[in-house]
Amino acid sequence: MRLLTHNYLQSNVKGTEEGYPLGIVPETVEIDKSPVDRELLLNILPKLNYDAVLQAVEQLRPHCETLPNLPSTLPEDLDDELVNDLYFVLFDVHVKNGCLVCPSTQRKFPIRDGIPNMILHEDEI
Amino acid sequence: MSRPELTGPAAHFYNEKEARKYDSSSRMVGVQREITERAIELLRLDHSQPAYVLDIGCGSGLSGQVLEEKGHFWLGCDVSRDMLLVAQERMHNQAENDDDDDDDDESMDGDSNHNIKKQRKSTGDLMHHDMGTGLPFRPATFDACISISALQWLCYSNSAQQNPRRRLTRFFSSLYTVLKRGGRAVLQFYPETAEQAVLITECATRVGFAGGVVVDYPNSAKAKKHYLVLSFDRNSEQKRKAALKDGLSSAAEEQQSVLVTGASREGTKKAPIRKKKGVKTKEWIVHKKETQRKKGKAVRPDTKYTARRRPTKF
Repeated sequence: MRLLTHNYLQSNVKGTEEGYPLGIVPETVEIDKSPVDRELLLNILPKLNYDAVLQAVEQLRPHCETLPNLPSTLPEDLDDELVNDLYFVLFDVHVKNGCLVCPSTQRKFPIRDGIPNMILHEDEI
Repeated sequence: MSRPELTGPAAHFYNEKEARKYDSSSRMVGVQREITERAIELLRLDHSQPAYVLDIGCGSGLSGQVLEEKGHFWLGCDVSRDMLLVAQERMHNQAENDDDDDDDDESMDGDSNHNIKKQRKSTGDLMHHDMGTGLPFRPATFDACISISALQWLCYSNSAQQNPRRRLTRFFSSLYTVLKRGGRAVLQFYPETAEQAVLITECATRVGFAGGVVVDYPNSAKAKKHYLVLSFDRNSEQKRKAALKDGLSSAAEEQQSVLVTGASREGTKKAPIRKKKGVKTKEWIVHKKETQRKKGKAVRPDTKYTARRRPTKF
């Protein structure tokens, strides 16, 4: 699961007050370096919730030392280094095993082999 | 061959063996690719801008691959974990092939942008999820949505709690929320009966979508394909009507479209229905005589004997 996906996921369990953003409890994190697509990143940046990105990066940091340090707010102009760091964080970091935790109900959504399991139980629909 | 939907839940049907069979059959891959290309065509995406596309029932990632080739990035959902694992393998193999290509193409200078799009590692991601329980995303997450051969699974209930209409409505109302305004959804499905197609379309339009079903090859039972095309066009329709009223010039508007309103039916009467095929009711005969009179033909006047049942065949 990429951090890009995590930025949009929320818990839609019945009766949840605030299901976003989901906390990440990682067990295994893998890096899969790919060439930076600047156009793609600049395209998606306005729609991202940047605070959730920062929070996710901090939650992954204990398991992955190579995570770059990101500024607390995005500047107007993005220099190449920041673009590369952002692309790396959003596309190249994969949470292979672990779980996602709902902020209000603490319901855990497991992640196995990089695939988060968002299947709801009968009583949560 | 009976429909797979009748055998049980999708997660059970698409087990490991079936998932491998599905992904390795070149005929299946070819058909799914064709359907995906057609769905993308109906989406009317701007291929110069990468779009975030939700792929419902992504299965083994065949449709995701086609999306990537067009330069978009995607998130796939499927209820069968075995299919998702096959998809992951496929994406991983795609990346490995790209790595090999990178070494050979060092000498190419010219159209490097074009090559980057084709050689990029997969920008898709996967999620294990049941679409009938609603989509767990923030509002206005996706630019577009496609679904290939998956929607009909919602029409079959596999437990006491599963009600097809409720699942369909839940799915469509969550789709309405997670799609950006101005976005479109194209969902190809295989309805077992006409009622199913109507049920699906009804549930979609009830939550507020505009659109309908496009049927390719309607005359062939085997080749027929149904595409449910949904959009948020209502607001833009109203804006266009307002603009036309104010006489705003269309130079500002790039899209020229024709507003078609239903033709007035005051002049024409509705044709009365025949009771059974081949049986002419009195109503029908009187109506026919009226139309003939209007055409100017010589017609006998209507009397109490008109449309009387004759004792013997003429």
